[in-house]
Amino acid sequence: MRESIREKIRLARRVVGEIFYGMVLHDMVLGLRRQRGEVERLFALILFGDMIGLPILPPYYTLRLLPYVMPALHRWKRSLLRERDLTDLAELIEAVD
Amino acid sequence: MNAIVVLILAALGIVVGYGFYARRIDRDIIQPDPKKATPAKMYMDGVDFTPASRNVLFGYQFKSIAALGPITGPIVAVAWGWLPALIWIILGTFFIGWVQDYGSMMMSTRRDGDTMGALSYKLVSPRARNILLLFIYFYILLIMGAFGNLIGKGLMVNTKVPFGMLAVTLMGVLAGQMTYKWKRDIILTTVVTVVLSFVGIWLSTQPAVSNIFSALYGFRMVEGKAVSPTIFLGNTQAQVIGTLLVVIFCYLGSVLPIWAWAQPVNYVSFWIIALGMLGGILGMLIWRPGMGDFPAFTQFTIGAGPLWPMLFVTIACGAISGWHSLVSTSGTARQLENEVDALPVGGGAMFMEMALATISFLTATVAFGSFKAYQDAAKPGALGVFAEGLARFLDHIGVPHDFGVAYGSVFLVIMGLTIMQLAVRFMRVASSELLGDKVPVMKNIHVGTIIALLLTILFVWIIPWLTIWVAFGAANQLMAGLALMLVALWLLSEGKKHTWALYPSIFMIVTTIAALLFVAYDNLIRKLPTAKTVQASIAYILIGVICLLLIVAAVMLIQDGLAALRKWRAKAAEKAA
Repeated sequence: MRESIREKIRLARRVVGEIFYGMVLHDMVLGLRRQRGEVERLFALILFGDMIGLPILPPYYTLRLLPYVMPALHRWKRSLLRERDLTDLAELIEAVD
Repeated sequence: MNAIVVLILAALGIVVGYGFYARRIDRDIIQPDPKKATPAKMYMDGVDFTPASRNVLFGYQFKSIAALGPITGPIVAVAWGWLPALIWIILGTFFIGWVQDYGSMMMSTRRDGDTMGALSYKLVSPRARNILLLFIYFYILLIMGAFGNLIGKGLMVNTKVPFGMLAVTLMGVLAGQMTYKWKRDIILTTVVTVVLSFVGIWLSTQPAVSNIFSALYGFRMVEGKAVSPTIFLGNTQAQVIGTLLVVIFCYLGSVLPIWAWAQPVNYVSFWIIALGMLGGILGMLIWRPGMGDFPAFTQFTIGAGPLWPMLFVTIACGAISGWHSLVSTSGTARQLENEVDALPVGGGAMFMEMALATISFLTATVAFGSFKAYQDAAKPGALGVFAEGLARFLDHIGVPHDFGVAYGSVFLVIMGLTIMQLAVRFMRVASSELLGDKVPVMKNIHVGTIIALLLTILFVWIIPWLTIWVAFGAANQLMAGLALMLVALWLLSEGKKHTWALYPSIFMIVTTIAALLFVAYDNLIRKLPTAKTVQASIAYILIGVICLLLIVAAVMLIQDGLAALRKWRAKAAEKAA
């Protein structure tokens, strides 16, 4: 009985904490994620030559970096090729009304 | 009627609306599948498509949809009497508001996380996407005008407000430095910046500080009343300087890196707003005031226009708002971890916003004790009513009245400014994307920002705030009608029952076109011939033409929508055969 009350309190705390995080910090995290995404896209683009066998930078460094980029290749491709329009930007303006 | 009775009615609306109506539609018609992969899982890119828990998304969605709209609309609308406003807040959310937010979120989730632009292209016509973009452009422009007017020419004119606004802004910048540059603990950062913000708001009420702004605004005593001289286009020195302070804030918000200005200022202001709301609700519960002589119904036609259609565009966000569909599709739908989360996130956040609109409704109806006192407080603008009402609630938890009014005003100023800075950022990016290839100078961040702000100043200085507010509400509600039409078309394309989205869509489109026609007629036919100044003539023409443009766009959209409806109906019949 006591254990189940404790469990309920723990669950309630988690729910309140997550809602609070969603209200206060989630948009900041999204903003940072977007910035990181842009840098990662640039990074992948720099190494793109090596991926297709046409090195742009001296191969020693790019070959060292390639293992870090390859796992994100599909993500990069999806993110880069996704069709966008201005309504995609709507999420930039939170809390408009 | 007592405030507690109103709160109970709103709670009943939530329990029945969410617990029965919304749940039933979710269970019987949409039938979310917990095993189905959502776009967040299928297309995870670590940026836009990333799953998040339903509680996090609920908080995020609520914060993204609730701001000054649900606060301002009810305050203006109670001029028709408290009953029509309360009925529309509760029934509007019940039958229409949550349908749009949840429906658009679910539609995007089932359609690979497409945004409204892509969805209107695919479900209606290629032209529909361009029309939607036109709506968005005018919507943003009208937001800038409406909020700029309410803040720059309303709240900022009070000499006890600007220093508090500057203090909160500076604390926001400090929070950005502490978090990102000095890597300080978030709790320490929060405590330091929020406490110092309150100290700043308190200082702003002190004569030594407010007198600086009195001097800056050129206030002089005329017949025992402090008056600021009229210096430009019929605006006083206080209004001109107040607007310029708003413009400078937005300029910095648009051109500085988001981590250095917009984000941390939003963060600190969240605490100022949340503590204010909490204090206000506590004060109201302790006080439990009644409405006094506040009439249930005043008359059919008031300053804002006739009850139908104008009430339905005056209260936009507290009952239904087109902007929510954009947030639901471009932001939240791409982060849903599970289809079953769409109802608590999309529907739940909308019902929560209804609660916020009800609190705002109460500040206007119960805090003043009489209808006359409400009317006097509403003369300079709706936000003054909320600031004064909040201060009266805070009185009951021991907050000094003078500090309460300054706090309520700073609370609203900062709430409006955080939206405006992001809107300018959006306009800057939009003009760069749309015109950058043809006019390379538009790619410059300063040029795009300055053009957006010049348009804002034009709107703020020459158009009365109530006129912009109703035009803004109409553009917003028309977008809601379009979103509901898209939801109905999507349901039809999936062979599901669609009338629960189609009828609200018809109601919203007919009502908002009628509202736009009224505003255009009022400005171009009734007011323009009797305009006494060039400035007034420009204002009437500007608003009238924008309304006509929106009507033309809406008619084109209806035409395309009807064609799409016939097409999807034929396909559904073919499939059934």
